[in-house]
Amino acid sequence: MTNRDPMKDQVAIVGLGSTGFTRNGDESPLAMALRAATEAITDAGLTAADIDGVVATSEPAAKGPEEIAAALGITEATHHAKPSPVAMFSLLDAARAVFSGAADNVLIVTPVVMGPWNSRRAAADPWRAGTRSSILPIPEDATKAAAYAAWAGRYIHEHGATKDPFARIAINSRTNAANNPLAAVTEPLSFGMYDAGRMIRDPLNIYDMDLPVDGADAFVLTTAERGREIASAQGREAVLIHAATTGIVGKNDEDQLVGLDRTGQHVVVEQLRRTSDIWIDDIDLFYPYEGFTIITLAWFENVGFCPPGGAEDFLREHWNDDAQRLEISGRVLVNTHGGSLSEGATRGTGHIREAVHQLRGTAGDRQVDGAQSALVTPGGFFFNPQGAFLRRG
Amino acid sequence: MPADFEDDSATDDTALIARFGGHGIDRDSAAHFRGRLERRLLIHRCDDCGRWHHPPRPMCPACWSWNITPTEVSGRGRIHLLMTLHQGPPASGVDYADGHPVVTVELEEQPALRFTSTVADGFPTDRLEIGTPVTLEWVDRDGTPTPVFGLGEDG
Ligand SMILES: [Zn+2]
Repeated sequence: MTNRDPMKDQVAIVGLGSTGFTRNGDESPLAMALRAATEAITDAGLTAADIDGVVATSEPAAKGPEEIAAALGITEATHHAKPSPVAMFSLLDAARAVFSGAADNVLIVTPVVMGPWNSRRAAADPWRAGTRSSILPIPEDATKAAAYAAWAGRYIHEHGATKDPFARIAINSRTNAANNPLAAVTEPLSFGMYDAGRMIRDPLNIYDMDLPVDGADAFVLTTAERGREIASAQGREAVLIHAATTGIVGKNDEDQLVGLDRTGQHVVVEQLRRTSDIWIDDIDLFYPYEGFTIITLAWFENVGFCPPGGAEDFLREHWNDDAQRLEISGRVLVNTHGGSLSEGATRGTGHIREAVHQLRGTAGDRQVDGAQSALVTPGGFFFNPQGAFLRRG
Repeated sequence: MPADFEDDSATDDTALIARFGGHGIDRDSAAHFRGRLERRLLIHRCDDCGRWHHPPRPMCPACWSWNITPTEVSGRGRIHLLMTLHQGPPASGVDYADGHPVVTVELEEQPALRFTSTVADGFPTDRLEIGTPVTLEWVDRDGTPTPVFGLGEDG
């Protein structure tokens, strides 16, 4: 394990672009990527000629960085990569490119596309017929998405938990989505509606699972120094990556994981402990991933808000009943954009985008006044746990 | 499907891949799936350190030995993970309307050595819970022997 962290506060997120997210998309993945990318580059006050690094996540049906570069009319690039989906693989790749000097202004594009395997509407769309999932076509499979239902059952068994904390995660996201024009679903969700939700993989129902959507996010990263110049010119706060990491345990095959008491989430949290000057008592905003609600309960526990199995009590104690959302210690809001459950299944790019909007003061109706720092924790239990402290700077 | 399909798949790679393609079969798991055709649940075991691992890989992750023998397990274990599918991929004999249980069984051979399948028809619903002892049974799914779990003995 390393204690070295020379990248601390050295890379800035200066450009944000997003198409918003929809259940009724009719654009190509490339078109969505280009809308988000051009918005992000323009948002940073840059042009195609300034971009010398392109990172494009390897989502199904998404185009690679070379095709993005061609479509955007980029002159030349000295860094290009195609990381795995889930937001911080791309964020870290781009940040490390900037920090190492491989490139000065790196574009990240992250389209997400509904597939025939997760949407009836998508299955009926001939333009998506060739899109393939890596999920095995057999019922008796506790890998990929199904693993989260299996381990949710184990969590309930070990801790005697009820579905109450799961419901609060789903309702919090839906409540917050109401103020987010990018969100796919904004109708209010009640405890009664949650309880009546269609069971998909018991114990998880339709409201425990993120929302397949079409859309794209894009980001531009540059050096902290240049980031401050750009922010200053635009009358915003600069936003820096303070500490960031991914983490896995070696024995990470979903149904072979020894237990929820030792997952990649623990590895991420311990690495952030070693490298971050900011901790959970300091933050103004928390963005735990909720691709499945069980993931969020684990993040609350593993980052240290409460002990293992303590999420049920913690979420109840920190629930604002009037607002129907979480307010940690009456102050720290959670997934202010509506998260993957209601904004849409962005694999965490929405969580990062929203954190940056809040910290630089461009979150519109959702703005938390004076927000200084945020913790973002994308990813689940097995292959993709990730975390970052972002701060004004 | 040719009439000799079943006979060939015990020896012929192409027939084996055709039969188990949906399971993500590869060279490293071929022996495991050939074992299924003989109704034997073969799990990779290291000849040098004796440790088991699953899914099948070519090298022992505990000691880096390449001396791996796909070895039949007792089939006894306990339900470690349990979920009930109310939707899922179409499969012969699987009815999601009533909920299709998927169990991950911790095998008695080694802690955290697990195998995922479903339970046998008639498995008592009041015993379908984490911790219940189970034992391996074989059923026929579209002509392919398929490992499932029946109720085991307490103790
Ligand atoms: Zn060994």
